[in-house]
Order: sequence, then structure tokens, then C-alpha cells
Amino acid sequence: MPTQSRSRRIRRYTPVAALTSCVLLATAACGGADKPAAGTDTLALAVLGAPNSFQVAQLSDGQPSYVWGSVYDTLLCTDNKGQIQPNAAESWAYTDAGRTLTLKLRTGMKFSNGHVVNAAGVKASLDYVRATPGSVQSSLEAIESIEAPDDVTVVLKLKYADASLVPALTLSAGAIADPATMKDPSAALNPVGSGPYILDKAATVNGSTYVLKKRDDYWNKDAYPFETVNIKVMADRTAAVNALQAGQLNAGTVETTQIDQVKSAGFGVTPVSATSVGTLVLLDRDGAVVKPLADVRVRQAINMAFDRQKIVTQFLRGAGQPTEQIVNPKSPVYDPALDTTYPYDPAGAKKLLAEAGYPDGFSVTMPSLYYTKPFEPTIGQALKDIGINVTWEPVPPQNNNIALTSGKYAMYFTADGLGSFPYDAKKYFSPDGSRNPFHTTNPEISGLLLAASSEQDQAKATEAFRKLNAYGTKNAWYAPVFFVGTSWVTKAGITYLGDGSSTTSTIRAFGVSS
Amino acid sequence: MILYVIRRLGGALLLTILVTLITFLLLSTSFDNVAASRLGDSANPETVAAMKAELGFDRPVLVQYWDWLSHAVQGDFGVSLFTSEPVGDAVTTRLGVTLSIIVAALLCTALVSVALGVLAASRGGVVDRIAQGASLVGLLIPSLLTAIVLVYLLAIRADILPATGYTPFADDPGQWLASITIPVVALSLHGMASLTAQVRGRMIDELRKDYIRTLRTRGISTRSIVLRHALRNAAGPALTVLSMEFIAMFGGALIIEKVFALPGFGSFAFESSLQGDIPAIMGVTLFAVLLVVGVNLIVDLLNGWLNPKARIH
Repeated sequence: MPTQSRSRRIRRYTPVAALTSCVLLATAACGGADKPAAGTDTLALAVLGAPNSFQVAQLSDGQPSYVWGSVYDTLLCTDNKGQIQPNAAESWAYTDAGRTLTLKLRTGMKFSNGHVVNAAGVKASLDYVRATPGSVQSSLEAIESIEAPDDVTVVLKLKYADASLVPALTLSAGAIADPATMKDPSAALNPVGSGPYILDKAATVNGSTYVLKKRDDYWNKDAYPFETVNIKVMADRTAAVNALQAGQLNAGTVETTQIDQVKSAGFGVTPVSATSVGTLVLLDRDGAVVKPLADVRVRQAINMAFDRQKIVTQFLRGAGQPTEQIVNPKSPVYDPALDTTYPYDPAGAKKLLAEAGYPDGFSVTMPSLYYTKPFEPTIGQALKDIGINVTWEPVPPQNNNIALTSGKYAMYFTADGLGSFPYDAKKYFSPDGSRNPFHTTNPEISGLLLAASSEQDQAKATEAFRKLNAYGTKNAWYAPVFFVGTSWVTKAGITYLGDGSSTTSTIRAFGVSS
Repeated sequence: MILYVIRRLGGALLLTILVTLITFLLLSTSFDNVAASRLGDSANPETVAAMKAELGFDRPVLVQYWDWLSHAVQGDFGVSLFTSEPVGDAVTTRLGVTLSIIVAALLCTALVSVALGVLAASRGGVVDRIAQGASLVGLLIPSLLTAIVLVYLLAIRADILPATGYTPFADDPGQWLASITIPVVALSLHGMASLTAQVRGRMIDELRKDYIRTLRTRGISTRSIVLRHALRNAAGPALTVLSMEFIAMFGGALIIEKVFALPGFGSFAFESSLQGDIPAIMGVTLFAVLLVVGVNLIVDLLNGWLNPKARIH
């Protein structure tokens, strides 16, 4: 029988401003910029998803990283303003037109079992992840080879320039495991990392409660004010709110409808306006399954079918904002002007469909997933209004991934976690991207991807990604409808330091207040 | 009696093998999906094939089932794809949580229902009307609503019990009791209502029978008649209801576990099914079948002990 865990799919990739390359000999490490006030309190946090495994090749990003991210150091990290910062690596630099990435490790780091963190160990850890099937593996696929010329230098030789690599090193792909223990089956439940906390195995109930104790010998311990971090997995928001009100938790997220309730109970509320984007992904851009989608006018007509403001106001009860792009509004790649590309215009959409040769519309089958069910009547009706008939095909939850990546469906609706744009651009525009299962490509996309990935200047790289974002919106590679956010509530004495610039799930986003 | 037990155990074994085989065959259709789920967004045909091979899903289905069965009889149920825990440990730990709540709820149900049912049947009058009213209310109020109200009153407002979570008995018996009190009350109300009505009805039937009249004429005390004779005869059907309540509570534990964020068997089974966690689903299926069969067997044996006529069947 299988012996390893699998990954959950609650994705929250890091929004970053520093997109690629460039030498960064920054002195500050993660936690420095947003260093919370000192304290020795306990952070008792409710999260939606548990880590499936602490095995470094099977880590998953999103909410599980609150736990594993406290145990493992990542090579780089993202601060609460969305900026990539040094972490285990003090600096990093691209050379060779983005084909070589050199990282300089800080000295004095140790794993919780006393083993020293050095370049050979980092190489071994990364090589293990690259060679092991798992959800992390693809993040490192651009790497051709890894060298460790001395104790503090790690050199990644790349097959091609990949702008998503540096952001990936702030997430699970950048986690460093002890080479002596990382392949041991026990690593799945009892990790050895060099991070700020040690998993208190005796007090932890796997899948339910994770207790983390602060390490006194951690190189950056002052950036972590909590002596103990107690993370409870609560998929039910009502249970989380009850636990908050009963004093069992001091931080967690709540639904919009619960905000007044927790405010009146004395909790602080920090709204994060956008953590994911509700998008109709128009995959079949060459018309292999549904021929009409090959015509850009058809895809644009679909974008015009949605009264986004009305959907936000009435369907989401105001807990969101309309959008026509897939970029985090806090990202420098985000362009507000693009959000007026497709005004709601069913008549205009029908006209476009007629011009494209489909005056009577057409039919399409979309997967009905457990999380799309509430949206299906709204999405289906909007499309029907312009002549597109949708058949929703039920897909069991465990089949979601294969359904979305199989190329069976020409389009589907999803709530996509907002991440760094290099990461999301890879998902949508790369020929092998998960949101591009038909492997659509064209010279313009390829050129923009290459320009963005190999650009050494951050401002120019951002500009290239802005062009890519504009291309995706204007050529209707997708039909984004709304951003949805979340609200963090914290008890007096605890503060949430994020503002939505970073959607990385990390306890660095929490501090103590007087 | 021994033959009867052996026959029941043989049937249970056969049933267990059949149920697990059918479950495995049904799950075998989703091997590709499970491999893809483990890979997340990065799944493509090549990586899915590699993951299938790593998980051993590329072998013939019956070979895989035999592998699972031969390991299971040795106590090795594989490792959860979802929690990385050995399935045996995961299931028994979570069963401990769920069973402690259900057993406590069943005990409360049995004690309260028998007391109330016997009192109502033997005393009649106001006591009977109160018992009937309470039964009706208990049947009408959903467990979930009871749980929510109790959490609000006892955990949030009064702050005398925890709103969520579970403390193992071995860690702290007092905290354990506190952590299961609201779930137990919420879970047992419906059972209490149902069983009280059952006990009351059966007791009234028994107390009207000729042998009771005979016992009375022989000067035997009412207490002895009610508790030693009538209750013993009425207990059989009540036990059957109790066993059905056990199975119903087992099925309904998921909601209670969600509301109280308890790391129990129900939520583990639910999550495992949602994720397609094949080893965990097999473990859950096996333990659930064994539990249901075991409870039915115990009830049959108790019935046989209480009523010798039942052993004939």
C-alpha cells in the first residue's frame, strides 16, 4: 500500500514585487522588516487545512505552510509587504541571462537535531525534491543541475530562464531538510528542519492540532515573538468562531457575515481584500474540443456576459470586488485600467458571437466541482443569456485535479488562489502550465514570457509581466469575474501584520501588541 | 451458545472480506485520480504514471487487494495518503475520540431512558405526561441545534466548558470529561427521547400481562416486579433500539465532530473519502464493519442472556 501522504490543494502563492534576477545583497532577513513587538505569548491559530506530510518532497503550499513553514527554513521568504527577502540564503543573484542562480547561505544555521546547514545539504535537499514525484517537483523543473562549490554557495544551473523560480524558493520548493533524515519515513510526521520552531510531537494530534515550540538556538529568533504556536485545523468556520469567542484561539479567519459578531466580542478585524480570484478559465484557445473558443471574439463575448458588480453585490453580498484580470490588486503587475476592458453587455456579446459565426450560440460542458456548485446557476445563466448553453458534469472531489488538467473540458470555473504573478503566469501561459492543459502557445506569449524571465532589471521585468497580463486579458485567455478576500480576527495583544500584499501562509504575519 | 457465536463470527468474517473487496474494487477506478491529486497542479500523464508506480497502483487490482488483506491481518493497514499516519494508528486514535463520546452518550441514553421510561410506565399520571412531553421535544430538536445552543450558553457565555477540541482521558480525566460533555448531551438527546418512549411502551405492555398479576397476588413487591421481572422482559427490544442508536450515532458523529472540531472517526472518514485516500478508506471501512458487526453480536448475546428463547434462533 502507499506509504506517503498526498498534497492538498488550498493554494495561496506569494505575491511578489521583486520578480526575478537582480542581485540582492539585502541585510534584512524575513521578519526584520515587519518585526513584531517582543513577547513570549502563545499564538493559537485556526487554519483550514493541515499539512499532509512534513516530508520535504510532499509539502504543500497554502494554509498547511503555517505549520511546516515554522519547522523548515526556506531559502528565501516573502515579507508582509510582498517583497522577497533573504532567509536561509543571505543573497541571491542571477547571471548568464537568467540561466544561473547563485545563492549565498548564511552561516551558523543548524537543524533541530544539531546538524549544520551547509551548501552540500541544501543541494542534497533540492536534488531529492527534484527527483521525487510530488506537488513540489514541478516548481524546480527549470533546474538542470545544482552545484555546491563551497559551504555557503549553492549554484542552480537552469535549462531555461524561469521567473517563477525565485518566488518558488520562498515556498515549499525552497524548504531545506536535513539530508541525513529527510528520506526516512518518519520525516512525514516528525520533521527535522532548521526553522524557528520544533514540532512538539507529544502534544500534536496529526490532522487536528499542531503544537510548535520555539527554538532558542534559531538564527533569527527575535523575529518570532511567540514561544508557542498552537495551530488548530478547523474546516468549519463556525467551530473556529466558537473557539475564538471561548478563548481557545486568538487568531483566525471568519466569514464576512461573522465580522460583527467577533467585533462585538472584542476582536480586532483586519480585512484582506483579495486572496483568490473567481475565474472562468477558457482553456481551449485552439478550439480542439469546443471549436468556437478558438475565436478571440467568442472568448471576449464570454467576458462581456458577466455583470460583475451585480454578482459581487448580490451573490457575494459585497464580500469581493469585480475584476477582469488574474493579478493580485496589490501587485505592481496589476493594471486597474484592464478592469474596464469588458463592460457588461449581453447584446454586444451576442453581436460578437454572430460576427464570429455563431449567431445561435453553442453548447459547452463544464465540470461541476464541489466548490463550483454555488456559482453554477449564476455562471450558467450569464452564459445562457448570450446563447451559450452549459451542461454541468459532476466530478467527484478526488477527481478534481485530473478533470482540470486532462484536457477534457474546454473551460471551467474555479476560485484560484492569488500568488506571485511569475508563478501564476507560468500556470496560465507556459505550454506546460496547469491552467493551460491544451498547451496553447504563440510567438507573442513565448516572447513575453522569455522577456519577463530573462530580464535582470526588476522594473523592466515588471513591465514585461504587465504586458503579459494585458495580453491575457485582452485576448481573453480567461474570464475573471471577482476577487474574494478574507478577514483575519485577532484577540487583544495579537496583531495581523499583513495587508494582502503577501498571501503566503506564514506565522510571520502575526505579531504581539502592547 | 458456542456454536451460535462461532456461526456469527464466521458470518462476520465473510461479510468483512466481501465488503472490503467490493470497496477496494470500487476504489480501484480512481487510482489515476488519487495519483493526480497527490501531484496537485503539476499533474501530467508522465508524472501521474510515476506517482502511480510509486504508490504501487500500477499492479493488478487483485494483487493489490491481496497485499492489503495479507498485511491487514497482521495489523498493518498501510499509511494514509492524507495524513501520513499509519492507518491503524490513525483509525484507532480517532475511533477512541468518537467511541468515548458515543459510549458516554449511550450510557446517558440508557440510564436516563430506562429510569424515565420505567417511572412513566409504573407511576403514570404527571410523571408519565412529563416523560412523554420530554420524549416528543427530544425527538423534534435536531442534535446540531442543541449543540449550537449549548456551546453558546455553556462555552461562550458561561465559560465553563470548552467550545471545541478533545482532551484524551489519559492526559487529564477532568478535561476529558469537560471536552465531551456538550457533544455527549447533544448526541444523546434524540436517543433518550426515542428509547424512553420504547421503554415506556414495553413496560406498560409487560405490566399488563397475566404473569405480573400473578406475581402481585403472591405479594411480591412492586419494585421487584418492575425491576426484576417486567424490565428484564422489556429490555430486549430496548437493547435493539440502543444498538440502532449506536449505529445512528456513529453515522451522525460527523456533524458533532465538525461542530466541535473533534479529531474523530467521522471526520477522518469524511476527509479520507473526499481526498480519495485509499488506504485510509480501506481502514475506515474495515473498522466500521467490524464495529457494527461486533455491536450486533453483543446485542444478540445480551438478548440471548436476557431471554433464553432468543437463543433458539
